[in-house]
Order: sequence, then C-alpha cells, then structure tokens
Amino acid sequence: MTVQLSKIPNGLRYFFGREARVRRAIEETALAVFNGWSYEEITTPTIDYYSLFEQGMGEEAANSFRFMDADGQLLALRPDATSGVARAAVTLLKRRERPLRLWYVAPVFRQHAKSRAEFRRESTQIGCELFGASGESADTEILAIACEIFDRLNLPEDFVITLNDVEVFNGVVENLYLDDSLRGKLRELIDSRNADDLEKFLSDYASPEDSRRFSELIQLSGKAEVFEAARQVITNQRSRAALDRLENLWRTIEALSLSERFEIDLGDVSELDYYTAVNFKIYLRGAGVRIGGGGRYDHLTAKLGKSEAAVGFVIDLDALTDALLLRNQNGHESEPASSRIGQSGDCIATLREAIAARRRNERVLIKSPEAKP
Amino acid sequence: MTRLTIAIAKGRLQSDALALLNQFGITLSDDAETSRRLSIEDRSGEYRFLFVKPADVTVYVEHGIADCGIVGRDVLLEASADVLQPLDLPIGRCRMVVAAPADAKANGHGIVKVATKYPRIATRHFGERGQPVEIISLSGSVELAPVLGLADCIVDLVETGRTLRENGLIVTEEIFSSAARLIVNRASYQLKANALLKLINLLKDLIAKGAKPDA
Repeated sequence: MTVQLSKIPNGLRYFFGREARVRRAIEETALAVFNGWSYEEITTPTIDYYSLFEQGMGEEAANSFRFMDADGQLLALRPDATSGVARAAVTLLKRRERPLRLWYVAPVFRQHAKSRAEFRRESTQIGCELFGASGESADTEILAIACEIFDRLNLPEDFVITLNDVEVFNGVVENLYLDDSLRGKLRELIDSRNADDLEKFLSDYASPEDSRRFSELIQLSGKAEVFEAARQVITNQRSRAALDRLENLWRTIEALSLSERFEIDLGDVSELDYYTAVNFKIYLRGAGVRIGGGGRYDHLTAKLGKSEAAVGFVIDLDALTDALLLRNQNGHESEPASSRIGQSGDCIATLREAIAARRRNERVLIKSPEAKP
Repeated sequence: MTRLTIAIAKGRLQSDALALLNQFGITLSDDAETSRRLSIEDRSGEYRFLFVKPADVTVYVEHGIADCGIVGRDVLLEASADVLQPLDLPIGRCRMVVAAPADAKANGHGIVKVATKYPRIATRHFGERGQPVEIISLSGSVELAPVLGLADCIVDLVETGRTLRENGLIVTEEIFSSAARLIVNRASYQLKANALLKLINLLKDLIAKGAKPDA
C-alpha cells in the first residue's frame, strides 16, 4: 500500500516560525534554570528495551511503539524519559558523588493520544531529576526549580502546582483490604472526583458519615486547612505518615513564601504506579490540560539495580508552547533586523560582504539576484 | 472575578439545566431560550453558557474551552471523556437498556446483533459478560432495527418506554440508570477552584433540599 507522500501521521506535527521560536525560548529558559541549580545535562537513547519502560511506567508502557531487535528482544520508542535517566544514574553514574543532579530535553512517543485534548503522539519532555537526596529539602528544591522556570517565563501568577502524596491513597486501600480490581475502581472514582458514586462505593466498607466525609475530602483542593480536614477522616497509620510528610513539605514551602503557587489536592491519584511519596501536577491558565508534573519515585531505582532516593519533574514542552501561543495570540513579535546584502548582484562581492558582517556578529540576509525573465 | 464557562447540552436537558441554575440565582435574559445565539452570559456576568450538541459538551470541557458542563451520563460514558465528574444532578433521568422484540427467541447463533447509537456502551456491556456481539451503529430510530430483522436487540436510552412499546419491544436488561452530571475540566478544577467549588456546593445544597438524583 502506498501512502501519499504529503501526508503526516496522526498526532504528529511540524513546528515552524513563531511556534518554533517560542518553543526554543522556553527550552532555553528551562535549561538556564537547570544549569543555575547545578544540574548536568544527560541524553539517553531514543530507542530502548521495552522492559525498562515497563519497570518504570507499568501498564502505561504498553502504549509505546514497540518492535523487535535483531536478536528478538523487544524494543520501544521511549514513551518516557525518566526511566532511562534513572537507569543511567544507578549504573553508569553510580559512583558519582550524591546528590546527583541531571536534566534532559527528550522527545517521547506513544501509539495513542492520551485523551482527545492531548492529541500528540510525539511530545518533548523537559525535566530534571535529583538522585540520592530524600526528604522535604530535596522535594522542595525540585518544586522551587519548577516555580523559577514559570517565573522566568513571566507567568508567576498564572500557574498552580497541586501536591499530593500517593501513600495517602495506598494507606486507605490497605486499610479497606481492597483487591486490585476494587483498588482500580476506587482510584478511578477518586481521580474523576465522582463524589456521588464514591460515597456509594465506600458505604460497603465504612460508616455513612465516614463515606460522606471522605468523598468531600477528595473534592477539596486547598492550603494548610486540608490537613486538618483529612486527619478527621483518615486515621490509618500509613496515610497519616504520608499526611505528616506532606504537611512538613507544606511548612517548608510556606517558610519560603511560595505557598501562593501551591494547592494540596488529595484527589490526585492518577500515577500511582510510578510515584512512591509526594507527587505533583502543574496547571497553567489558558491550558485545558496539565502541562507538567513530577514526584518522588524511590522504587524505580531499586528495580533498576540500586535503591536510592529519586525525585524529579517534567514539563511538556509542546503543551506549554501551545498555551503560551494561545495567550499571546495578538502579541506582536518583531524579527530582529538583518543587514540585507547582495544588491549588487556580484556573487563574490556579496559573499565577501556577508562573511565580514558575520565576523562582526551581525545578522545578514542575502538577497537573491533578480530572476531574469 | 473569575468567570466560568458552562457548556450545556442542547435539547432534552437544556431547559431543566437552566431551571436548576435559575434556582440559585443564575438567570439569563428572557429571550435566551428562544434566541439562536449559542453563547450567552448570565445577568451577573459571572457565568457564560455555551449551548452545544450533547456529545460536544464533553469535547468543550475536555479541551478546557468550557470550564464545566452539564451532560447526560449516557453521553459521558459513550465519549469516555477524560473529565472530572463531581456531581450527579436530579435532571434528565432515564435508563440505558437492552430491549428486544417481545416475542423474540434466542437466535441460536454464537453471536448477537445489537443495533445502537451507543456502540461503546454496548460493546462494554456485552463484553463484560463474555457475549460475542456484532454492533450495528445507527444514528437514530434504533427501535426499527429488530423489527425489520437488522438486529436481534437494541441498546438505547429510555425515558418513558413509549417508543419501545409502540414498536413491540420490551426491556430485557437495564445497563444503568442515567441522570445528568456536572463535569469539570481537570485544569479548570485547579485554576478556578474557588468559583467551581462555589458552584458545586450551591448545586449540592439545592439538591439536598429538593429532589434527589437517581439512587
């Protein structure tokens, strides 16, 4: 079967002109911030063993483009960047001094769009990872870096980072003795903030009063007051430990006067297989979908060969680019002026002039000699 | 003040939804219902309404063009939209059912032919019980299909059951009872948290005082 050569597959696209410039500017802003916090760049392979991503992402990895290596091993186009970076940290870089700080810009690929609003099958992740440091100091470092990037993009008022700790949910599940399928159901109800159905679901396991209060809790997004509300409903030890940890992180954020940018959101349970403690999502005014997120994923490093603390975040460069372009739809952006060269039509003279101008770091634009009729 | 954009399914739900919102003081100009404008602000300017086809409510909300929307659970399940669903509303009640001719016998084949406007819901329903099905997607007058032998049964939304009866069909199974739901965009839920929680809580109080949504 032949495909029309002008076609481009679904969910893939070009970046050109203003889009490309905005995208590049975001990238440069982010990497300047990473460098400013002494993170080092790492580039990992675009193609890797499928099993690596399966370890990292669980079921979601099945959405990757997969194919066989010559020796029959299953390979995949990278559906996520963190897995590869984490493996490098615990293998190639295992003797490096800790904490180890790494950043990357990496395209990731998936077979199917995430949702109708996130149509992309290729998107570029910009992110950083901090290995070998635990506790709220490391978590806050990551969050402060994320904040700085948005500040430097002149969006200080326009983003919200929601914080949760996956162990709050895991504690609740453990306490209710739920099997995997019921755990999935509970997760889905919380994730969609479906309080009515959640209350019905819980009524098999808890008193009507507790069911109602827990259902209210997952709709609550707020500041420090969330902790008090949560402790009234959630009493199991595992969840309590997570709430304490989250509250300590919150106090640190408050002490740094950053709390304006953050919300506690105990209903964020979307990536439970990945994260092991704090997890967060980044939302930007004008974007209908989240544009980034991250968290702590200490188990992954253990699965890859060396147990160590790991925390990081990614920004979806393409989603952020779209949001910025939408915000500044009417914004004028002038191209830098170029010296126009080549009026004479003499090829050698033109190029000599251009080369000299480039030595002075001037921007040149060579004018083609007029086409002869 | 944060302004909320609310997408509302045109048709069956529209007047019920507006009547519900009217109860806590969100009012539109008198000609709103008859007007052909598809985007209207309420009198306070706090809310903007979009009137779109039911299936498109989920699209506007998923993309964040509308912060929230009011749509039937049937549409929501069929679209499998990635949106938050914080509240059932006591309007637009109906049932999603399997219906077949009253005199139908098992067709004796290993596969059942199902005519429906809801291929996803039908596929999932029969899939869960291991029943192989051939789904025949129609866009309307589904009741005709079993009568004329296009399908063995239908999966459809039933309000009063009159159309079924008049075409000699009976309900053989109820898949779920459906009511309208408030759905919310994931990003708006965080970025306009105060305005949305205000709306949700007001609606909740109203529902608690008045009729309850389907149990």
